[in-house]
Formats: sequence, structure tokens, C-alpha cells
Amino acid sequence: MSLPFSKTERVNLSTAEVLLACGDPEGLNIMGEMFAGFGVHTPRRCLTMADAQTSVQERILNLMVVDSALADGEGYDFISWLRRSEITPNCYAPVILITGHTRPSQIFRGRDAGASFVVRKPVAPLIMMQRIIWLLNDQRKFVTSPGYCGPDRRVKALGPPVGSKGRRHDDLSAQVGAASTPNLEQDEIDALFKPRAVI
Amino acid sequence: MSAPRVFVVENTLAKMAREPGGRNAEAAVKAAELRIDGVKDVSLASLIEKAEQLGVLAAEARASGESEAFGPVYDLSNAIYGVAGAFGLKGLAEAAFSLCDLTDHFRSGEEANWPAIDVHVDGIRLLATLGEKATAAGADSVLDGLRKVRARVMPAN
Repeated sequence: MSLPFSKTERVNLSTAEVLLACGDPEGLNIMGEMFAGFGVHTPRRCLTMADAQTSVQERILNLMVVDSALADGEGYDFISWLRRSEITPNCYAPVILITGHTRPSQIFRGRDAGASFVVRKPVAPLIMMQRIIWLLNDQRKFVTSPGYCGPDRRVKALGPPVGSKGRRHDDLSAQVGAASTPNLEQDEIDALFKPRAVI
Repeated sequence: MSAPRVFVVENTLAKMAREPGGRNAEAAVKAAELRIDGVKDVSLASLIEKAEQLGVLAAEARASGESEAFGPVYDLSNAIYGVAGAFGLKGLAEAAFSLCDLTDHFRSGEEANWPAIDVHVDGIRLLATLGEKATAAGADSVLDGLRKVRARVMPAN
């Protein structure tokens, strides 16, 4: 199977502070082993939302991996709390949400809670590494608003969702206006593609 | 909260991960697979315990008659799904996922169908006990039965 990333891609997670949260002890253990294999030293392991909240308050974290099922609540609620906690810089840290069985009503809940990525179980190490590498290159801006706090949900720069007018000041209209200058001649277009040295 | 804001935040993870040292991604994935394999036995043993516990929780839910009592059954079944999936026990994972569907359906107010729950719990216990020894054909026959039960109780829309 071809790798979803370059063979030579290097990742140094040895100094990264990583929080792992999962309500099932065995699930948490599997997650812990996976990240130990990735080179993470002593990640913070949390079974409960209360533990995870304490960790967020106590130390600076660089990555959080949160299962949707915690022992005393739901991962969605933890992420929502985190994003609105105003505990900087942790509230801006990347969060990978892992879901198991997902009720139809919860499909968009992870995204709307502010997760950077939602990954469905089973999560093989290859998939997790692929998502981490994606996050390393993630340049999305952060959004805070009354209805949502988290990374920009528009992953691709394609403008507002189809059929909607767009709520942002820099959203362009889908209507293309009439040309305001004459069309380029063919040789002018060719010149754009064939740059020549100027002597 | 005040007016909406869209702003740039520093990607500290990227900054750290790009520091010299570390390991290449392929080697990191292999190391992770090896480490997970190291906890396989204890994890598979835990699945048997979880499956037994599932039977106890289902009996408690039945005795209570409350729809909220399906919550612990759902949670444990979801945990079984996660661990089974991590070790490639597809049959057990599918059976647990199917029980999650059922319990979620019943806790939403639908009248509980206990024979459907019982047959799922029994199937999960059998598949968890067999673990990797469950042959594909054996697991398929259990799953076929569960799929039929599920389809009868929760017809597709």
C-alpha cells in the first residue's frame, strides 16, 4: 500500500505536550501506545472530562486527541468547553476527535464543537500519522463567534457554502460582473505563459 | 462573547515537529504498530470481560425498565467496538456496532425489543471469547443472524 505521506517526512514529537482522552481504559492504553510509538514522551492520559480540563488548566498542550466517549461525559462537550475557555494558548491547540458509533444527530457535532479533525474508529497508526501531518500544514485561521469557536470550518478556500450569500466581509459574490476592461489579445495571453528574458 | 473574529494562530505543533531529530513518519507508524501489538493480549482479554459485563448491564436495564438504563449498555458496546476494531476483529466490531444502533434506538423512546438485545449480547460474548480464533465463516453466520434481527427491529428508512 502506498503511504499517504512522503517516506522521508520527519516528525519530531519528542518535545510535544500531548493530551489523550478516552473513557475506556483499554482504548486509552491503545492510544497511549500509538503515541509512544510516534515518539511522544509521557502524554497526559485522561479518562474523564474533569481530568482533561485540569490538564488544560495546568500546562501548555500542543495536541489533544479526544474520544467522543469520556468516562464522565462526551468529548464534544470537552472540545466546546476548551474552545470557549479562553485558556491561551491551549484553546487554540489542534484537537483530533475520535468517534466510535455515531448517532446521526452527532455527525456534525464534532466539527461544530471546534475539533480540528474528526476521525472515525478504527484508527490505525497510519491514519493517525496522516492526520497529524495534515495538521502540521494546517494554516486555517481561528474563528470566535457567538455560535462557533474553533478552526475555520471552510477547509478549502472556495468561498461561502453553495447557495448561501456568505457572512464574511471578504466573501465575494457568486455573480460575475461584466468585464470592465477589454479582453487580452492572444499574444498577450501567450506572453504570460512564455516569459522571455529581456536584454 | 463579542463580535465574530477570524484571526491567525501560531501552529506550535508544526514548529516542534519540524525541529531536528525525531523519526521519519514511516518508522514512527511501524513503531506504533509494534507497540499496539504489544498490548494485544491484554486488550483481547479485556474484551471477554467487557462482553460478560455487557450481559450484566443488559439484565439491569431490563429490570429497571427505564430508557436511560440503555446508556451504560450503549457505552460499553461502543468501547467493545473501539477495541475490537483496533485489533482487526471485524465480526466482533460489527456486532458491537449493531448493538449500539439498537440501544440508541431504544433509549430514544422506542419500545425495547429484548430478544434482539439478548441475541446481540450472546453473539458478542461468543465472538469475544473466540477472539482471533473465530473463523471468518463462523463469524459470518453469527453476523448474518444479527443483521436479520437488526433489520427486523430497525427497518431501513
